[in-house]
Amino acid sequence: MNIDKLQTYIPSKSVLLIAKKETMDNIRNKWIIFMTGVFAFLTLIISYFGSFGGGWQSVGLTIAGMMSLVQYLIPIIALMLSYGAIVGEIERGSMSAFLSLPVKRFEIILGKFLGLSSVLAVSIIAGFGIAGIIIGINVGEINIGEYIFFLLSSILLGMVFICLGLFASSFFKRRSTSMGMAVFLWFFFTMIWSVITLGVASMIVDLGSIATGNIPDWYYAIEMINPLSSYSGLVSINIESVSNMGQQFIGTYPDFYSTPLLTFVLLIWLIVFLMLSIFTFKKRDL
Amino acid sequence: MIEKKIKCPSCGYETIIQGKVGDSKKIICPKCNKKGFFEFSKEKGTKKIMDKPMMLSVASLTKSFNGKKAVNNASFSVHKGEIFGFLGPNGAGKTTSIKAILGLLYPNNGQILIDNQNLMHDEKKIKEQVGYLPEKVAFYENLTALQNLEFYAEMKNANKSQCKPLLKEFGLADAMDQKVGTFSKGMNQRLGMARAIIGNPSFLILDEPSSGLDPRGVVFIREKIKTLNEEGVTIFISSHILSEIQAICHRVGIINKGSIVAVDDISNLQNRLQLRPKLVLILETVKKEFITALELIEGVFSVKQEKDALEVFCRKDVKANVVLTLSKKKAKIKDIQTMDPSLEEVFMRFTEADAA
Repeated sequence: MNIDKLQTYIPSKSVLLIAKKETMDNIRNKWIIFMTGVFAFLTLIISYFGSFGGGWQSVGLTIAGMMSLVQYLIPIIALMLSYGAIVGEIERGSMSAFLSLPVKRFEIILGKFLGLSSVLAVSIIAGFGIAGIIIGINVGEINIGEYIFFLLSSILLGMVFICLGLFASSFFKRRSTSMGMAVFLWFFFTMIWSVITLGVASMIVDLGSIATGNIPDWYYAIEMINPLSSYSGLVSINIESVSNMGQQFIGTYPDFYSTPLLTFVLLIWLIVFLMLSIFTFKKRDL
Repeated sequence: MIEKKIKCPSCGYETIIQGKVGDSKKIICPKCNKKGFFEFSKEKGTKKIMDKPMMLSVASLTKSFNGKKAVNNASFSVHKGEIFGFLGPNGAGKTTSIKAILGLLYPNNGQILIDNQNLMHDEKKIKEQVGYLPEKVAFYENLTALQNLEFYAEMKNANKSQCKPLLKEFGLADAMDQKVGTFSKGMNQRLGMARAIIGNPSFLILDEPSSGLDPRGVVFIREKIKTLNEEGVTIFISSHILSEIQAICHRVGIINKGSIVAVDDISNLQNRLQLRPKLVLILETVKKEFITALELIEGVFSVKQEKDALEVFCRKDVKANVVLTLSKKKAKIKDIQTMDPSLEEVFMRFTEADAA
């Protein structure tokens, strides 16, 4: 492969320019500002009232209390940010002028991915960060390492769903269809997936034994494919309070649930759907 | 310069290439990427084309949507330094052709060269010298006019300092810090034109440049197009306003039902259709000798009498001679009207099958 040809595959400064534009265009989105406020508000509410009148809880316990909420909120924010990123620009008409610029289609997808991820990261860090500082002041003792791990894992989860949304946006011809797909994906991963895996499990083992925490490893293996499960597993095995609370309700994770494996699962989702988005957009007629 | 239709030995994809006799040209098949060489010699199947340097060359362009051909085997070229008008009824294939030229959609067949470079192989390099105003102008609505323009300037590797003077020139000085979401259609159109010329492109593609503009705006854009052309920019305009095309274009191409039906300068097209300027002379009385005298003038094609009026179809340059001849014959002329054939007549004639 000669150097000229190789250069065409290396993302140029265009990617960073697009990412910057995408961040500037979305960060002023009133909906994102509102969701950042919601993050902070819910975190504080859960921390203060989560102990049923006992006052402020530690950050670890707050994270444990927030896990299910975060698993609903982050995917929907990521999908709402990304479902219109490509098809919305095509429908509005700005994509024609965009593609007349000296830019390759894969650079547009990469730029949008980085830009939207930055917006989501800012929203998560600002929302949870402000709440974390307030809790820290009141509780006095805060494990910063655990909190940063929680924030980074949440951002990674958001990035996976941004890639899913970008794929829907590159694939569908109408913004409304892409939105429908985004809503379906949210339902699928937050609700339908568990129903299917539980249904499969009930055909093989006694449901009663699952309810008592006697869950077979293969069930965990299937469950792990869902990015939401990988995320909750990742947070659980790394944050002590979440792990303790999890043991009370869903039992202990199997030994193969490791940080590298669960991170790998999330990264695979991210890379596969980012590549699919690029491939679909490259083939698309405008 | 000659052109030759060749077939890829690997996948059978047909394409037209251009070169001079004796040239050896490296070819990469746009479909399967197979590489090969072609030597231009004087042989059958080669067609001599105009020697003027070309900015855009479209050869055998075909694009289908769901089996229906939107553009069918269209070939035309735009010479460097000219203003080329691209006309056609709604749904004739104008926007599809423009999108194919810019690489926004993938043709089923054909070759497009911009400044002798293939968009498929030199995309970034080519697009750096192209400016485009789409039919539907849209921007990032949460960003200001200046932020929008600066983004496009940076993407084109142009100097951001161009942006403010450009916004002032296009009458948007007071609105440059305003979010584009609040702009009127006319303001959007002006900003779209500023975006198209940022980075000083050598080739401008304008799709309906006057759309949404008030009469003052229309005149401003027309003058701007003329000035840019005088500075050496090649301009390709698609427009429904035929008077605008007639006023500024050197040549026109007419597309109808996906096929190119005519490419030439306007007067040549008028001649092909035998559309002649008409001189109507209202006289006090019409005498037979007036008609005989006029018919003898070289350049007069026919003379018709309508009550006390004479309708003379003639070349533009003999109109004065017609009046002089009648004066010599002591004819008392009460009124003179001249009617030049318009581009509208040319357009209607070339697309009349569509109207029927």
